[in-house]
Amino acid sequence: MLDVSRVQKELADCNKDKAISGVSIDLHGGDGDLSHLAGTISGPVGTPYEGGTFRIDVRLPSGYPFEPPKMQFVTKVWHPNISSQNGAICLDILKDQWSPALTLKTALLSLQALLSAPEPDDPQDAVVAQQYLRDYPMFVATARYWTETFAKRASVGIEEKVQKLVEMGFPEALVRSTLDSVNGDENMALEKLCSG
Amino acid sequence: MAEEEDYASSSDMEEEDMSGFYLSDREEDVLEETVLQGLESQCEEDCHWSVSSVITKESLLAAQKEDLRKVMELLALSEQHARTLLIYYRWDVERIFELLEQKGKERLFSEAGVTIIDKNRATDLLNSSQSVNCNICFEDVSQNAVTEMDCGHSYCNDCWTEHFIVKINDGQSRRIRCMAPKCNAVCDEAIVRTLVSARHPDIADRFDRFLLESYIEDNNKVKWCPSIPHCGNAIRVEGDICCEVECTCGIQFCFSCLSEAHSPCSCQMWELWTKKCQDESETVNWMTVNTKPCPKCHKPVEKNGGCNLVACICGQAFCWLCGGATGRDHTWSNIAGHSCGRFKEDIAKRTERARRDLYRYMHYHNRYKAHTDSLNQESNLKESIQEKISVSESKQSKIKDYSWVTNGLYRLFRSRRVLSYSYPFAFYMFGDELFKDEMTPQERDLKQNLFEDQQQQLEANVEKLSMFLEKEFQTFSDDEVMHTMSHVINLSDVVDKLCKQMYQCIENELLYPLQRATHNIAPYKSKGLERATELSVCWDSDQSLRSMKNNNEGSCARWDLTVNVNGRHSGSRFPGSSSSDESGCSSSTRKRPRRDVAGGAAPFDLNMPPEVIDNGRY
Ligand SMILES: [Zn+2]
Ligand SMILES: [Zn+2]
Ligand SMILES: [Zn+2]
Ligand SMILES: [Zn+2]
Ligand SMILES: [Zn+2]
Ligand SMILES: [Zn+2]
Ligand SMILES: [Zn+2]
Repeated sequence: MLDVSRVQKELADCNKDKAISGVSIDLHGGDGDLSHLAGTISGPVGTPYEGGTFRIDVRLPSGYPFEPPKMQFVTKVWHPNISSQNGAICLDILKDQWSPALTLKTALLSLQALLSAPEPDDPQDAVVAQQYLRDYPMFVATARYWTETFAKRASVGIEEKVQKLVEMGFPEALVRSTLDSVNGDENMALEKLCSG
Repeated sequence: MAEEEDYASSSDMEEEDMSGFYLSDREEDVLEETVLQGLESQCEEDCHWSVSSVITKESLLAAQKEDLRKVMELLALSEQHARTLLIYYRWDVERIFELLEQKGKERLFSEAGVTIIDKNRATDLLNSSQSVNCNICFEDVSQNAVTEMDCGHSYCNDCWTEHFIVKINDGQSRRIRCMAPKCNAVCDEAIVRTLVSARHPDIADRFDRFLLESYIEDNNKVKWCPSIPHCGNAIRVEGDICCEVECTCGIQFCFSCLSEAHSPCSCQMWELWTKKCQDESETVNWMTVNTKPCPKCHKPVEKNGGCNLVACICGQAFCWLCGGATGRDHTWSNIAGHSCGRFKEDIAKRTERARRDLYRYMHYHNRYKAHTDSLNQESNLKESIQEKISVSESKQSKIKDYSWVTNGLYRLFRSRRVLSYSYPFAFYMFGDELFKDEMTPQERDLKQNLFEDQQQQLEANVEKLSMFLEKEFQTFSDDEVMHTMSHVINLSDVVDKLCKQMYQCIENELLYPLQRATHNIAPYKSKGLERATELSVCWDSDQSLRSMKNNNEGSCARWDLTVNVNGRHSGSRFPGSSSSDESGCSSSTRKRPRRDVAGGAAPFDLNMPPEVIDNGRY
């Protein structure tokens, strides 16, 4: 049911200008499954997220594009509208304001815009939202620290780590998803891969 | 017999009603006159105005066409735009006209998602025959496989169809919005129907049913009958929607909360009361305060007497204050070898309060229960009384009319109902749970006395009426029958007036002065609960349409129409219209608007058994 030709066109279109837009999208695994994708967003300049690369898990329901894509931050991020626990996102266009005329690229760009302009009145993470409203400097410091810790380390070395683990004989798709699940920690990923 | 003659009368009871109480003259014509008087006085109605009608599967379409037609005529809209508007504004025609005044046509329409097509633009597009790229599937499609919605957004038919199906399956049939981002326009229902039925006729049918049932689901004035199993009907109430109705399937219910008819309790009181009766929370409270589990066998042990050493039937002794096992040696204040230092008075106080609450609940519940039980027993009277009437009618006698018996019986049923529900009402009205801060204890005592005085009078007269109706009048001499008849007729009248007074007292003296809470009760209906009538829609409504148009020419005439439409008085809100005939109500938002019954409901004598009404009236 998934509109494969549209998704393929979207992927090509999105990645055409990823250097300029700061968002990109690829297949999640190597098995060619178009319903599970991996998006990236570069942190907007002038925000505590600057310099970070944020990975987004994207799942397309069979009704896509008539039903909204399901998106979730894989990279841990400190933001009022994103759960600091599990990366769940509170954004209207991913819910009732979704329109089939929107694309994965526009959705990712909206997420990027959300990083620039949080909406603490409609929070996903109440703790972060409260900090944002009551102690903004502290919020900025925390968000920046999280960016440094999770969005840089993971992104910088990620391809090296993938390569290293693939060379050890693990399938690439599994390597990537395992690295995702442990936020890029190489040793933990290896442990997980070995334990099955 | 002397006691029977002693009717309780209230000071408010008018003299003239009391004067005809005892009949000295027992001529037939005089008696008939009295019967007529009795019936006439029952025709006085209180000032709540509401008319209910039954909407069946068959009449549902007709019912909503009425409203559609009003909106179509007055706003010059197509049926589908009128429907979109009505769905958005919950089928409240009056509100649509109000908002039209406040917001203007454009905002009224755009908020509801109604877009009027620009015909020129549409033809422009149709003329071009080249293929276009659909913005959703990214495919090139020929112009005739593309549909443009009223808002001007166009996509290919496959994409539209897919979108419609997803929305219909998601239960959003009543408001399928255009696919363009941030476009609020509601899609043309004819396009939805055509495109969807081409691929999935069953889904198109579902779409139609959803639209049809919107008239019930999205409408404050229409509700499904709560019967189980469901009779298939819905009930529409015009006028005051705080009322009690009877569906043609026979079930009687409160239109506001859909539970059984419960006036003079408010919906909130009734909800609390049923919950309380179900979980017997008072009993549970009492148990927890008055019993403690034995530390050995864990059975609940009740304390008897003032001593704090209690013994379980298993033989274990324990300290009442801390629940700890002890030996059996003790003095009045001490248990040997045990000291827990609990503060005794606190516990004594808690026990006392729980006990008082329980007794209070039991007091009201017992009386409520007694009257409900009587009501059930008396409904068995119906058959035996019918038999007695048959016997009497076949007798050689001057008296041929026994309608006073059935009238009296129906009066008894209704007043018994009122009486039984008046106990849960009093439980909450004068208890701490709901209105603790609304009245000083003195005020409360005063009001409680006032209310209980009325309640007792009603109770006494209801019991008397019941007693007279149970008499074996078929064996009586004519004189005795007439004597009984005069009592039944007069008691019926007294009981009706007392019920009416009690409702007035509740509304005006007890509920109206409340500052923090709003409690509305369904009005007292002298003639019994209103039976919803089958909806009859006049299709030949050219005349009414013409009068609508005529009305529309005047500056304020439209508002007169809305009054006719909804039976509500919106006059005072609009300059130029006739001023309200009510004095105290118009400014108050807390109290429901009242309207005189004149010209409202047809004089429908529910005091008669249903067969009589059915035969006589239709
Ligand atoms: Zn298309
Ligand atoms: Zn549109
Ligand atoms: Zn029914
Ligand atoms: Zn109710
Ligand atoms: Zn025991
Ligand atoms: Zn003792
Ligand atoms: Zn103790």
